[in-house]
Amino acid sequence: MDTNAKEFCVKGVPISKGIAIGKPFFFTLTETDCPEYTIDIEDIEKEILRYRRAVEASCRDVERLQRRLEREGVTEAAAILETHLHMMQDMMLTVEVEQGIRLKRNNAESVFCYVIKKCKKKFMALPDPFFRERYKDIKDVARRILGHLCETGVNPLAQVPARAVVVAHELPASDAAEATAATVSAFVTATGGATSHAAIVAKARGIPCVTEIDVALMQNHRECDVVVDGCKGEIIINPSSSTLRKYRKIQKQLESYFCHLTKESRLEAETYDGYSVSLFANVEISGELDMLHQYGGKGVGLFRSEYIFLSRDHIPSEDEQFVIYKGLVEKMKGLPIVMRVFDIGGDKFSHIDELPYEETRNLLGCRAIRFLLKEREIFKTQMRAILRAAAFGDVRVMFPMVEGPGEFLDAKAVVEETQSELANEGFVLDKKIPVGCMVEVPSAAIMADALAQECDFLSIGTNDLVQYCLAADRSDQVMSVTYTPSHPSIIRLIKLIITAAAHHDIPVTVCGEMAADPHFTPLLLGLGIREFSVALRYLPIVKKAIRSTSLIEATELAEKVMLLTKDHEIRELLASYYHKHAPDKEDPDFETM
Amino acid sequence: MMKLIRKVQVKNSLGLHTRPATVIVQLLQQSASRVSFTYRRETINARSLLSILMLAASKDARLTITVEGEDADAQQTMSRLVDAFENSFGENGNYGYQC
Repeated sequence: MDTNAKEFCVKGVPISKGIAIGKPFFFTLTETDCPEYTIDIEDIEKEILRYRRAVEASCRDVERLQRRLEREGVTEAAAILETHLHMMQDMMLTVEVEQGIRLKRNNAESVFCYVIKKCKKKFMALPDPFFRERYKDIKDVARRILGHLCETGVNPLAQVPARAVVVAHELPASDAAEATAATVSAFVTATGGATSHAAIVAKARGIPCVTEIDVALMQNHRECDVVVDGCKGEIIINPSSSTLRKYRKIQKQLESYFCHLTKESRLEAETYDGYSVSLFANVEISGELDMLHQYGGKGVGLFRSEYIFLSRDHIPSEDEQFVIYKGLVEKMKGLPIVMRVFDIGGDKFSHIDELPYEETRNLLGCRAIRFLLKEREIFKTQMRAILRAAAFGDVRVMFPMVEGPGEFLDAKAVVEETQSELANEGFVLDKKIPVGCMVEVPSAAIMADALAQECDFLSIGTNDLVQYCLAADRSDQVMSVTYTPSHPSIIRLIKLIITAAAHHDIPVTVCGEMAADPHFTPLLLGLGIREFSVALRYLPIVKKAIRSTSLIEATELAEKVMLLTKDHEIRELLASYYHKHAPDKEDPDFETM
Repeated sequence: MMKLIRKVQVKNSLGLHTRPATVIVQLLQQSASRVSFTYRRETINARSLLSILMLAASKDARLTITVEGEDADAQQTMSRLVDAFENSFGENGNYGYQC
């Protein structure tokens, strides 16, 4: 390492705020560089099974491709794929990998890579260049199998040295989910937008995260320290001692600020002039619930049930799900929990083999409630598990991606059908369970009045609402600029939904990213929102914002905003209001919007 | 049980490349016998596509087929394999795909 080298700064996009200082850990999954770890003796058979599953999944991929090519009349290419199928199931490969797992007690990925490397060596040693070239097919096959293996593998992030800065091209949600602020000090990625699942997890855990960084550039400075500035979205490689001092100071300030906020979290969430507000948390895994009580949250406003798939490659059975849900409900200690049924499809959870539609990968395709209404078995299994768990606490059911009253009633009918089935089977279901829906599709927002008539509650999912309303993909690098919740159309839609809910006297929650941004808190309060659901980490900040807002002033602010027609005007007004009323002048965290 | 041994010659111009190897593996899926190829003192399991490829047997290479199994199955397997080699795996001078 060249200690005389100068520090240099790389600009990216801030995803999750905070400052981290540490050594980079390169989290790359390529053929030559894959995670390696030892497995327990009792897990050997499980590991072998995981390998077989990965091979089976790869075969299914190839068969699907093959059928498509045959339909299109590309028979030659289909014949190559036939070869790939045989290679995947090649007994030499299978036997060597399975024996390797047994003898070396290493994870399937590393053994597989080792076997493939050996194979490559043999091919490269062949005197005939024509035969050497055949290795290309093997490489292709290996990449596919490895891909499936890595999706289901034990998480390599568990192996990251303490306080490392994890650098990856892209971070799959399942990997990010394993990370905790205690082991990983920051994430740096080349791609992945602000509302990708990895970003959501990073924010919830309070792990600083910066994206759009040239990862290859960092690889040339493996040995250097790195400062990650999640507030500005900057990476400083090989920082000078004065830079280090500066960032250590900011880091300390931030920590004491959070500490201060946490101390205040016992206070009620009410406005400066005494109006009471309910603060709920968005939760993905049950481990987060301890923080909910610690931060004084009033319940879970959004449990993303699909996250139970993260460490699995199949949809859990009714009993498995029941155990998970019951555990959650009991951890709530009487507080309400809103269970959102599986939001699968789109960009979410494409690794589950049982999902039959290729088009589930499409954001406008068959996802969430549309998927569940088609796949009744999956839907009913989940409903049975939720309804059974509901007997142990205050559970509410919510449907994602509902287009309007039609889809809502269809889904609600399934709940009622399941309820009577369970009752007939002798299960004790002692009360009526509130059923509501997300308002995240523009059509649902427009139909809010009719929807509010049927629902027990509404929850505004701003992330999807913004992206569908503005036709701007939130993970698209260019369009993420257009993707903004401060667009006047979004504010008007939210007002429309609030009015409809008030008219039918049902509660309405805001549960998207917007709810967690304190710049929007006065506006949302002024528009009439009295329930917020935010990632746990943001509970103290939003509570503080609520406590320093006067509802009368907030209402005036909302009236002003409703007159504006351009998103930058709204942004500027909110920023100036925030600076005037900022809960804390020394707040180093939310200086810019 | 019987053990059959035959010498064959690779006739197709590209040798035992991916496509012929695939044909062999597919063909052996209908057989219960143990089948191995020996070429340049190396003996491999003929059911493994990768192993066949790694023999790198080009045109005119002479290799030994060994089939062990129930009489009828072994005989049928051997004659099918020999036919496949004789017919140049259906390539008939045609190069087939070359990727």
